[in-house]
Amino acid sequence: MASIRFENVSKSYGDLRAVDRVSFEVPDNAFFCFFGPPLSGKSTILKLILGLETPDSGEIFFDDRPMRNVGPSDRNVAMVFQNLALFPHMSALDNVRFPLVERKIDEATIQARVAEVTEKLHMAHILHKPPAQLSGGERQRVAIARALVRDPVAYLMDDPISALDARLREETRVELRRMQQDMAKTLIYVTHDQEEAMSVSDQMLILEQGRVRQIGAPHDLYDAPNSAYVASMLGAPAMNMADASEAVQVLSHTPRMNRNAKTVGIRPENLKVARKDGPGRVTAIEPLGATTVLSVETAGITWKAALRGQPAHEIGAPVQLSVDAGSLHCFDARGNALPAA
Amino acid sequence: MQRSIPFEIFRYAVILGIVAVSLVPTLWMISMAFKPIAEWSAAGADLTWWPRNPTLDNFRFIFGQSSTDLIVALERTAGRPIFASLLTATCGTLIAMTAGTSAAYGLSRFGQGGNLPLALIQLRLFPPMAVMIPVMIMWSFLGLIDNWFGLSLIYGIVTLPFAFWLMKTFFDDMPREIEDAALVEGCTRWRVFVRITLPMMRPALASSALFVFILNWSDYLIALLLTTRDWATIPVYMASLSSSMTGQLYGAKAALGVIAAVPPIIMGIAIQKHLVRGLTFGALKE
Repeated sequence: MASIRFENVSKSYGDLRAVDRVSFEVPDNAFFCFFGPPLSGKSTILKLILGLETPDSGEIFFDDRPMRNVGPSDRNVAMVFQNLALFPHMSALDNVRFPLVERKIDEATIQARVAEVTEKLHMAHILHKPPAQLSGGERQRVAIARALVRDPVAYLMDDPISALDARLREETRVELRRMQQDMAKTLIYVTHDQEEAMSVSDQMLILEQGRVRQIGAPHDLYDAPNSAYVASMLGAPAMNMADASEAVQVLSHTPRMNRNAKTVGIRPENLKVARKDGPGRVTAIEPLGATTVLSVETAGITWKAALRGQPAHEIGAPVQLSVDAGSLHCFDARGNALPAA
Repeated sequence: MQRSIPFEIFRYAVILGIVAVSLVPTLWMISMAFKPIAEWSAAGADLTWWPRNPTLDNFRFIFGQSSTDLIVALERTAGRPIFASLLTATCGTLIAMTAGTSAAYGLSRFGQGGNLPLALIQLRLFPPMAVMIPVMIMWSFLGLIDNWFGLSLIYGIVTLPFAFWLMKTFFDDMPREIEDAALVEGCTRWRVFVRITLPMMRPALASSALFVFILNWSDYLIALLLTTRDWATIPVYMASLSSSMTGQLYGAKAALGVIAAVPPIIMGIAIQKHLVRGLTFGALKE
């Protein structure tokens, strides 16, 4: 029900600039993902949205309404904390009821809302237990239920499913995406898992040391990163980065590239490997089923190539590397993206 | 790790020694409390570890029943001092815990208060004697000598640093996110403190209160200086248990000692289950 806008917001802790002149807008009803390495300012931005921290400078708006003097309880934002932050002295049910009880909502409405949410999350059987008696996944659901039970302007989630095992995480993130679309609410999501970020979000914002590096739809960021940093953050295996002059010597039929390019990047799935005598040697083969990741070494550079299926390659065998013109990313000396040609 | 047998023997000898040093006097006190006068006043070969003729005479004696063997009669019985000790130690604990917990929370959460933590430690750096004489003078001006409130107040002040430091450590260790969650979910700061922080801190409050209570309960010096008669506490009263005819009434003292050990033990048992359970057990993902 609301868009959230940051205008030149900064926040420091001592000498550390946790958030540095950040501006962005989270559109209404978007699944918006903050992505970056630890200490890049993700959690601080969430705290600023929640009102748990006040910006040193800049302004935060909810639907054009400045939030400077609005306290956390009046912002009507729901949050799932990274460590869940359940109330240990209350049962799961009381945890879920808490936001409604504190807002003095009448008992009939509370019961209806709680029943609806707990049913959606399949947690009726754990409601009487205290958090201490729940498994990691069950605690997660309690925390999510506590956020979903009321009708906030936006939901914030700080790496909420990182404690789950890989399979459950995949299921949960799809489930979260589905719920967000059902409810038609803004969901702001923080994660350090690029696959998670790309798979669920409408838009993502990439942070580096408290600064915004790029904002956009996941596939746009993936295909057209504005910097070497963004390029290297997305994709697994990560983009191959090589000095432009060295790459020219290694790649057979090098496409035309920007004359100012200092570094070139090639996504592993765009790197072609031919079993011909060439400058590369296969050093490792990782068959992953649908794809096979090949490590190829050329004079000092290790390239990763993601090949479809299980192509026949041998360790130690010589290979030739090449790339199509459209798949080459060029960056200048400061890491900013350049047009390819 | 496989330990050698001599090492194990040494280890158990040390443990046994420590246990003996700490427990034997207690056992001796309990044993003496149940001995008739002939046994507790015996010397040399007549001394026994266990009472040969166990009796409750010592207990009856301090509560005013004259003893057949003991010609003396007590001027005052133990009832009043026990009440005085219970009242002043409890009120002192309440004062220290209330002030200490509030101060600790404020300092832990908002980092205000400047040098207060250090200042509170300094309160304990002076020898108690050096502090107590001026206090005695002030209290007498205020009419607080031999007064339950006067004694409770000074107990609260003297144990405040302990209450403060213990509680501050607990508050510092409590994850902020839990309070943040409550703030976001619609609580005011005060509601967070009452609804979330204090209930979560119950084990910490219980163990700190027990510690403070024991400090107050076992005080001798302060009560000796600030009470004269009506509000003499158990330790002060115990010191007075002697007579010109029989000298120190060890049997009676032992009986009173056994009684004095009961309240802390009861409190300890009552809070034990809180002490064992972790503070935030289950609140966070591991």
